[in-house]
Amino acid sequence: MKVITANRLADGRVVYRCKNGGWTETLTKAEQFTDDAGADAALAEAAFDHLTVVGPYLIDVEEQKPSGQKIVRERIRETGPSAGSLHTGLVEV
Amino acid sequence: MYRYDDIDATLVRERTAQFREQVGARLSGELTEDQFKPLRLQNGVYLQLHAYMLRVAIPYGVLSAAQLRKLAHVARTYDKGYGHFTTRQNIQYNWPSLVDVPDILDELAEVDMHAIQTSGNCIRNTTTDPFAGAAADEVVDPRPWCELIRQWSTFHPEFSFLPRKFKIAVTGSPADRAAIGVHDIGLQLVRNGEGEVGFAVFAGGGQGRTPMVAPEISSFVAQRDLLAYLTAILRVYNLAGRRDNLYKARIKILVNDLGADEFTGQVEGEFARLKGGALTLPQEEIDRVKAFFTDPPADDRPAVLHPSAAFSRWRLWNVKPHKVPGRAIVVISLKPYGGTAGDASAEQMDVVADLAEQFSLGEVRVTKEQNLVLPHVAEADLAELYAALEAAGLATANAGLASDIVCCPGLDYCNLANARSIPISQAISRAIEESGLEEAAGELTIKISGCINACGHHHVANIGLLGVDKKGEEFYQLTLGGIADGEAAIGKIVGKGLDPDHAVRAVITVIRAYLDARTEDESFVQTLSRIGFEPFKEAIYA
Amino acid sequence: MRNDAAYALAEPPVQNANDNAAVEIDAATPFADAERLAAGADEIAIRFEKFTDGRGFSLASMLRDRGFTGKLTARGDVLPDQAGLLRRAGFDKIASDIKPQSPRWRRRHFSHAYQPAAAGDEPAYLARARAARAALVEKLNHEYADASPEAIITAATRAFGGRIAMLSSFGTEAAAGLAVLARIAPEMPVLFLDTGMHFAQTLTYRDELVARLGLTNVIPLAPDKDELAAEDPEARLFEADTAACCDVRKVRPLARAMASFDALITGRKRYHGGEREDLPPFEFDGDVVKVNPFAALSAKEVAAIYRTLKLPAHPMAAMGYPSIGCWPCTAPAEGDGTREGRWAGQDRTECGIFDPRLKERAARTRSYRLI
Repeated sequence: MKVITANRLADGRVVYRCKNGGWTETLTKAEQFTDDAGADAALAEAAFDHLTVVGPYLIDVEEQKPSGQKIVRERIRETGPSAGSLHTGLVEV
Repeated sequence: MYRYDDIDATLVRERTAQFREQVGARLSGELTEDQFKPLRLQNGVYLQLHAYMLRVAIPYGVLSAAQLRKLAHVARTYDKGYGHFTTRQNIQYNWPSLVDVPDILDELAEVDMHAIQTSGNCIRNTTTDPFAGAAADEVVDPRPWCELIRQWSTFHPEFSFLPRKFKIAVTGSPADRAAIGVHDIGLQLVRNGEGEVGFAVFAGGGQGRTPMVAPEISSFVAQRDLLAYLTAILRVYNLAGRRDNLYKARIKILVNDLGADEFTGQVEGEFARLKGGALTLPQEEIDRVKAFFTDPPADDRPAVLHPSAAFSRWRLWNVKPHKVPGRAIVVISLKPYGGTAGDASAEQMDVVADLAEQFSLGEVRVTKEQNLVLPHVAEADLAELYAALEAAGLATANAGLASDIVCCPGLDYCNLANARSIPISQAISRAIEESGLEEAAGELTIKISGCINACGHHHVANIGLLGVDKKGEEFYQLTLGGIADGEAAIGKIVGKGLDPDHAVRAVITVIRAYLDARTEDESFVQTLSRIGFEPFKEAIYA
Repeated sequence: MRNDAAYALAEPPVQNANDNAAVEIDAATPFADAERLAAGADEIAIRFEKFTDGRGFSLASMLRDRGFTGKLTARGDVLPDQAGLLRRAGFDKIASDIKPQSPRWRRRHFSHAYQPAAAGDEPAYLARARAARAALVEKLNHEYADASPEAIITAATRAFGGRIAMLSSFGTEAAAGLAVLARIAPEMPVLFLDTGMHFAQTLTYRDELVARLGLTNVIPLAPDKDELAAEDPEARLFEADTAACCDVRKVRPLARAMASFDALITGRKRYHGGEREDLPPFEFDGDVVKVNPFAALSAKEVAAIYRTLKLPAHPMAAMGYPSIGCWPCTAPAEGDGTREGRWAGQDRTECGIFDPRLKERAARTRSYRLI
C-alpha cells in the first residue's frame, strides 16, 4: 500500500493526502493506494497543491504504519523524534 | 564584543524586511519552491522532517547575555522551549513555522542578531577558537578578523551563489581549537620575521564525503591584504569549482584536482591584481574593530577553595587557563550523561545569561563541541559559579572527556540523515558513565554523524561514528585516529558497520584497549599510531 | 555608460529585450574567453541558465575590474531577489525570463555595502575609515595649529606610523624639511618623483643630501615604462601638453606609490602663494592625509634652518631659480619662494600631484583604490 505525504507549506508539519484531496496530520486518515497507477495519478494531482504543501511523495505503508526501505525515517516523521530533549529528562516539559 | 553601528543595524533590518517579502512571495505563489529554497536557505531556513528549522547566526560563537536571553525568548515563544547549539557555533530551532520566521527575525534584529548566510551555497558563519581573547596560549586575538570577514562575506555581490557552501575558520593560537585544517579556508594568525602580524592561509580542507586536510597556500598574507587574498581565492573557486556534481562541488575537490601549486598560482595571479586596491583594509577600520575586543581586567581576590570532590573534578576538566591573572575560562557542558548533545532549554539559557552577567562580564561563547563558555570568570568566583551551575543541571564535569560527545541532529530531525545520531550518542554517554573509565582516559573525542555530510565531524574524532542505512536498518561505521585541531587528521574506518548495540559496546572496548596499551601521557592517537589498528579491530570484532 | 545613481530598476526590465547588438556569453564561459570577447564589444550579455549559477556575477565583476566600460546585461533565469547583487556586480541591464512585470523588481535594495563592487559602492570600511580620518585631521589641526615642524611631524608619525612618507623634490628648500625629518625619523620613506626630466644638479644634490643627513629610505618613483612608451615615446610630450607630461611622469607614479601610504608629508609653505596661502598643518582630501609641517614657516625661517644646520644649498639656487622642478618647465624668477618660474607663461603653478581630482583619475587607471 502507498500513501502520499508532504510537509505543510506554512509550518512544515508532516501531512498526508486524503481521499477528498485535502491533507491530514493523521496517517490513518490518509488515502491508501493499492496500485501504482492510482498512486502516481494522485501524486501528479498533489503537485498542484504547491501553495499548501511542499514536496509531496509516496511512502510504503502496511497496516496503516510506514514500512519498506524508509521505515525508520517515515516512522520518525509520523511520530516525532525518537529521542531528544523531550525524552531525556534534560528538560522538564 | 563587537557592537553594531548604523550601517550594520540597517543592513540587518533591510534583510529581515526582504525576507518577509520573500516569504510572502512564496505563500502567494510568485516564487516557486525551487526558487524559494535557495533564498530561504541563505537566511537559515531549512525544511526538515517534521517542521522548518531556523539556524540563527552566532558570529564566531560570541554572544552577549542580552542576546542569549533573546534566544531563550525565541525558544519559548516560537519553538518548543529549547534550542540546539551547533558545530558551527550557531543555534538552531527545530519547530518554527515559516510564517513566524519574519517575526522571529525582527525580534533577533533588536539584539543585533540574524540568520544571514547560516545555510546555502554562500560564505557561512566564520568560526574561531571559543577561548579567543581569553586563552593563555593566544598569540593574536582572532575575533577582530572574524568580524572583518563576517562583514566582507555578508551579501557579497559575487559570492552569494557559489558552487557549494563555504566555511572559513580563524585561529590565533598554536593549539588551534578551530579545526582550521578541515575548512574551505583556514587562517592562522602568525608573526613574520619582522614581527609583523599576518595570516598563514590554508585552503581546500573539509569533511563530508571526501575528507581532506587543507594544504598551506600562503605562509604570510599581511593584515591589510586579507580581504584581497580571500577575494582572490573565492574568485578562482567561484569560476572553476565544479557545478555539475553536488558531491564534487566543494573547493577541496578543485584544489585537489588542480593540485595545490596550480591552485595557489591562480590565486596569486588574481591577488596581484587586487592587492593595493579598494579591498585594502584601512588601518582605521582595523583599529576600530580591534577596539571592541579588549582584555578583561585582572582580578586579585584570592581564589576560594571548595572542599567537594565534585567541584575538584569540574575544576580539573571544565576550567581552562586565562591570559589575565586571577581569571579563568569556564566550559559549561551541554552533555549531561544520556542527554542530547548541544541542546539547552530556554530556562538554562536564561540561567547562563544571568551567570554571564554576574561572573563573566556579560559574555558567553558557543563552542564547536556544542558547549557554552563563560570566558572571563574570576578565580575567586569559581566556587559560587559552580554551585549555581549545579543547581541548574549545568555542572557536568566532562569538558573534553569521552562523554563530551559531538553529535548532529541525525534522522530524528534532519532531512538528509540516513540514521539516527542522538539515541546512539545518549547510549554511548550512559555507557561511558557506567564504565567509570573516562577520567582515566582523559581528553578523548567522540563525534557522531547521521550521514556522510559529517555535520557531527566524525572524520576528525579520535573515535568517530557514521550512521548508515542498510535496507531500513541503522548501522554505525567506526573510524579511529581523527584529530580536529592543530595537526588535523582524518580518521580511518576500522571495519564493517555495527548494529547500534554493538557500536556502543565497541566504543567502550576501544577506550579499554587504549587504557590497556597506552604508556604514560600518551594520547589516544599516539597510542593508535604506535600499536596500529589491529589490536583495536580484534577487540571490536572479537 | 553606467550611471550608478540612476540605476534603481525604476522600470521593469523587458522580457526578451531587443538587445541583439550584444555579444552573448554563457555564465559558464571561461573568464579568459569572456575577456577576449569583451575587448572589442560595446555591450556584453551574460546568460544565466540557472539563477543559482553564480559564475555570471564573477564574470561581470572581473570584466569591470579589468576596465570594461560597455553595457552589461544579465539575461535568462535571474530573480528579482538578485537585482541588487546583479547591479553591484556591474550589470546595468536585466533581461529576465522570470516575471518581468513583478513589482518586486522595483524594491529598494540594501542601502549600504560591506564590499567594494563594480558598481562603485563604497564599502562600509572605507566610509568609516574616511570619517575617522577626517575627524582625526580636524582634531590634529586644532591641537597643532601653531606647532613647530618637529611637533607636527612627531604627531603625524604617531597617528600614521608605518603608513606615512615624506615627499621631496630635492629642490631649493627641501634640505630644511629633510634635515628636520632626519633628526626625528631618518628611517621614514622619502618619496622622490624621478621623472627622468630633472636637472643633473638636482640628482647630484639629492645624493649629497641623503648621505649627509643619514636618510635611510629614499624611494625614487619612476614613470611606468609601458605608459611612457604609449604616451611619450620621444620624451617630447612637454612641448605639446605640459599637464599630460606631469600626469604620466608625476601624478600617476605618486598615486601608485600611495597605495602603500595613508599620509604624506609635504614641504609646501603658505608664502609660496597661490593655492597654498591658507595651508593648514593637516589636510584630508577624502583619501590621503597631507601633512604640511612647514606651512607656517617664513622664507626667513627656512633660511635660518639652512644657516643653523649648515645645510648646502641647491646648486641652482644661486643661479636665480627659486623653485626647481623638471628642466623643460623651470625658469629663473624674481623673489624668494615664488613658483612663478614653474611652467612660466602658462596658467598653472602646480603639477597636479596635490589635486585630488587628478589623483583620483590617476588611481582609476590601475584599480579603484579610494583610501
